[in-house]
Amino acid sequence: MSKPFFLWRHLNKLRWVTLTAVFAALVTLPFLHVYQTYVAAHAYDLLAPSEQRLYDVMEWLTAPFTEDAAEDLGAVKGNTWSATLWGLKLSDPLAVAGQTAAGLSIHWPFWLTALIPVGLTMFLGRFYCGWICPATFLYELNTNLAAWLQWAGLKTGNRRFDRRIKYAVLAVGLVLSAASGSVLVAAIYPPAIIGRELYYVVALGGFGAGMVFFLATLVFDLLVSRRGFCRYLCPGGALYSLIGRYRLLRIRRIVETCNDCGKCNAVCEFELDPLRDGFGQECNNCMACIAICPTDALTFVIRPTDYPAQGPGHLGRQYRKLQEPTLGEAA
Amino acid sequence: MERRTLLEALAAAAVAAVAPGPVRAALNPSSLRYLRPPGALAEEDFLGRCIHCGQCGEVCPNRCINYFGGENGLSSLDTPYIIPREQACILCMKCGDICPTGAIQPIERGLEPILANVNMGHAVVDESLCLSFQGKTCGVCYRACPLPDIAITVGMLEQPHVTDLCVGCGLCERSCIQLPQAIRIVPDFT
Repeated sequence: MSKPFFLWRHLNKLRWVTLTAVFAALVTLPFLHVYQTYVAAHAYDLLAPSEQRLYDVMEWLTAPFTEDAAEDLGAVKGNTWSATLWGLKLSDPLAVAGQTAAGLSIHWPFWLTALIPVGLTMFLGRFYCGWICPATFLYELNTNLAAWLQWAGLKTGNRRFDRRIKYAVLAVGLVLSAASGSVLVAAIYPPAIIGRELYYVVALGGFGAGMVFFLATLVFDLLVSRRGFCRYLCPGGALYSLIGRYRLLRIRRIVETCNDCGKCNAVCEFELDPLRDGFGQECNNCMACIAICPTDALTFVIRPTDYPAQGPGHLGRQYRKLQEPTLGEAA
Repeated sequence: MERRTLLEALAAAAVAAVAPGPVRAALNPSSLRYLRPPGALAEEDFLGRCIHCGQCGEVCPNRCINYFGGENGLSSLDTPYIIPREQACILCMKCGDICPTGAIQPIERGLEPILANVNMGHAVVDESLCLSFQGKTCGVCYRACPLPDIAITVGMLEQPHVTDLCVGCGLCERSCIQLPQAIRIVPDFT
């Protein structure tokens, strides 16, 4: 009986560190941009006291890493939708799909920017949704908020819909992008919205329609359907799921040590079915189930498809019942 | 249900394919006078390329790039624009370098490449408003121009004359001391 490597159950913490770091970076980058423009304008003495405070804080943050802030801070720009990191351009596959639909032509230099994300997704599946997406950071906190509200006696929503709706949203989004000749999927994709709106709020002093849309999805998740947007509606999640359909890194239930407690199903943000080996293409390898499993019965496996259903866990009551007749015969 | 929404969308796409002009007009109904960043493709190609990522604005040292809300139609949502009277472009060409899709083309920061490739608009002088044409020597637009004697020449009393080489950065409009401004950029992107 193999035990999973002991570190696996701690990876969920690393996931939270990653999510927090990405979100913190998205909040910091617009401030760095503003600071950079102050430096470029040589305008310290002309700044208002609050702006000077921002300048001082950002200077303190960046001084160890930069010589000439106005130039060096240009190395990291953008957000998770599309970013430039020290000259390396990375884009969300949905940005590439949307742009290809809108322009009705393939622009190869842009396609190449999605190569690394697509490659990682083919290996790790929909990991973006669990490990990077800045909206996930807020949606998961939103789930916690729902739990607190329930604890306080308030009703929150846990309605279920058809998971395939998001593939239709993806198709409709791309068709509308093609029809309008503009990348409209960007307007309904929460991580793209958050990256943009954080910049608008910090650097331009206001927010757009995207913020309203995102807040509406938060309310939807809270009052109608837990994690409903990611589960049923997100076009990016749909595309990542399709790309990661035959992902190599999967979670596998070790049937010998599973006791059918069902905590994995309860903790799964995407309402998948680890208890019955039902991970499927939509698992984002978030590892919440591995972290919560009391008998260490979930581990990683390199395999292009899920294990077929293995039946009840061998430490569970159901399995014992199944075994009893044969045990009786043996006796 | 999702099949029906898909069919509706396909129908909408079919309508758009049959009559692209009216649909695009409905999506882009504004008569705003705005510029796209330097090196931007022609408007229709630009909208087909721009993914609304916002990196051009983030890299702009002059903070002249702003983003549309819904005021210029749905297809312009979150796309970059410049209102030269508010903040004009200093032709640093950083936005084209960072643009991942080529919606804003990368252009080297030099006189020849800028003259050859930047086509944001062209300045037009309203002689009835311009101080120099009213006998009061001004010349502020000429001094604000990053391409003096190339894009703008001045005659008697510093009267400005815009040449065909003007790229439309808008620094003249930004700096004009008249209210309303006597020199404006007429966008060339359509």
